[in-house]
Amino acid sequence: MKKVILIFCVLSLLIFIRPALGLNSNTNTTGNTPISTNQVDEVEESGSYSGAFEGIKQFYNYTGFANATSGNLLMIFIGIVFIYLGIKFDYEPLLLIPIGAGVIIGNIPFVAGNQTGIYETGSVLNYLYFGVVKGIYPPLIFLGIGAMTDFSSLIANPKLMLLGAAAQIGVFATFLGALYLGFSLPEAGAIGIIGGADGPTAIFLSSKLANGINILADGTTVKNLIGPIAIAAYSYMALVPVIQPPLMRLLISKEDRKIKMKPPRAVTQKEKMIFPVVALILTTFISPSALPLLGMLFFGNLLKESGRTERLADTARTKLIDIVTILLGVTVGASTQADIFITKDSMLIFGLGAISFVIATCGGLLFAKFMNLFLKGDNKINPLIGAAGVSAVPDSARVVHTEGLKSDSSNYLLMHAMAPNVSGVIGSAIAAGIILSFLG
Amino acid sequence: MSFIPLISDQISEGYVILITGLLIVFCSLLTLSLFFKFGLPVMLYVYKIITKRKDKKISEIKVEADKDFTGEIAAAIGAAVHLYLDQQHDHESAILTIKQVKKPYSPWSSKIYGTQNRL
Repeated sequence: MKKVILIFCVLSLLIFIRPALGLNSNTNTTGNTPISTNQVDEVEESGSYSGAFEGIKQFYNYTGFANATSGNLLMIFIGIVFIYLGIKFDYEPLLLIPIGAGVIIGNIPFVAGNQTGIYETGSVLNYLYFGVVKGIYPPLIFLGIGAMTDFSSLIANPKLMLLGAAAQIGVFATFLGALYLGFSLPEAGAIGIIGGADGPTAIFLSSKLANGINILADGTTVKNLIGPIAIAAYSYMALVPVIQPPLMRLLISKEDRKIKMKPPRAVTQKEKMIFPVVALILTTFISPSALPLLGMLFFGNLLKESGRTERLADTARTKLIDIVTILLGVTVGASTQADIFITKDSMLIFGLGAISFVIATCGGLLFAKFMNLFLKGDNKINPLIGAAGVSAVPDSARVVHTEGLKSDSSNYLLMHAMAPNVSGVIGSAIAAGIILSFLG
Repeated sequence: MSFIPLISDQISEGYVILITGLLIVFCSLLTLSLFFKFGLPVMLYVYKIITKRKDKKISEIKVEADKDFTGEIAAAIGAAVHLYLDQQHDHESAILTIKQVKKPYSPWSSKIYGTQNRL
């Protein structure tokens, strides 16, 4: 083996020094007079020096150092912060790390026109981004979520479904706020869905409404807001453990936080099998525009609960959703190319997103308190679980659980909180469908 | 000047969407919850009637029968089973020897049909 490498090295060395040794066959065969060859050599030499210099200069012009703008550097810094947050504080690392890496990838400065950037047609990133722009990834994610989710706590206590609906107030309130801030109707609809706290739904709706292709009634093209909306939705989802607890403490009294709910009854397999079929038919009849999302969600759940398609369910909830999450995270991150992303609109969207999260959480909490007025004794619900009505599965349920444990260390709310949590997913998908049917 | 009416128009449409949207979301989830509260027991009852045991009343078929069997009990059983299965691992035989493997003859692994000695 060593000998082979040695021979290879010698050969390559010979090839490099061949011109110096005069072994070049071209110079031998030309047969020119010595003087003329001298002249040619001289010209070539000075030409090659300046050419090399030019080449280095040109190369430098192609590097990131020459093309970097302050926006690029800022976004790269943000990408690093995302990765840091994901690793250090464990805030949804499965999302933040791909997105953070994507932000860095998308903001490496480059010379336009070489099919490099995510917004240049024909580039690899552009092809991967296609799944975001056309809304292909979100339904696939929903398939996986459906195959993961256990709806039994919801079936056991159907009234908790209303909490998932109450949290959708955030969606519609933000929609109105965005309208007041001067966004057009479709843009406002796409921004509002951030309040649904559901990344895939937000991407799905913004890819349909605020995709930079649709033309408004007054003849202008709608803005492309997929990047900012997706980033806002995912970053607020990751920040659920930071945003929600103060609101819970603010709105729910100490006694209410200690309410112990009776354990949910066991749900039969038959009910679990019927649920996806019936829920699919009912919800999509009401809101057919949400069909790609809800159809896949309940299809995934049917795969899980039917008991006959464990293999398919297993693929959907592990490999498939992982693959799509990787592609989605990186491309959404990369879509934050500084020249397109750093605008006033993005800042407004971030502000509105935070507000919508707050409103959605408050809506859920207050509606839970309101429901408690009509419930008696054992049936009372702990108002904290209202906060899980914003989807953000399963993070908000976990936050409710830890918050419940803080006020009473023997109060386990996780299973109860999962009910409004999953109904929040259904609710935000329905809300997306409604907005789409109004504005699409 | 036509800008202002356009905006107010948008906002009034926004309110329409706000109210109808919220209403629809609520209604759809309400229907769903009502169905699972009342519709499903009836359906299960009908199913039972169709298949067998006509003498049962709806109150008996209601899943209320499982009232005592709560999620906590299920969790406890699950934890116990998990722990037990985990312990199995500890009671493995401690004899670690490499067993000789006897391969039966197979033409697939035969050395006769190698690439070197073609027949």
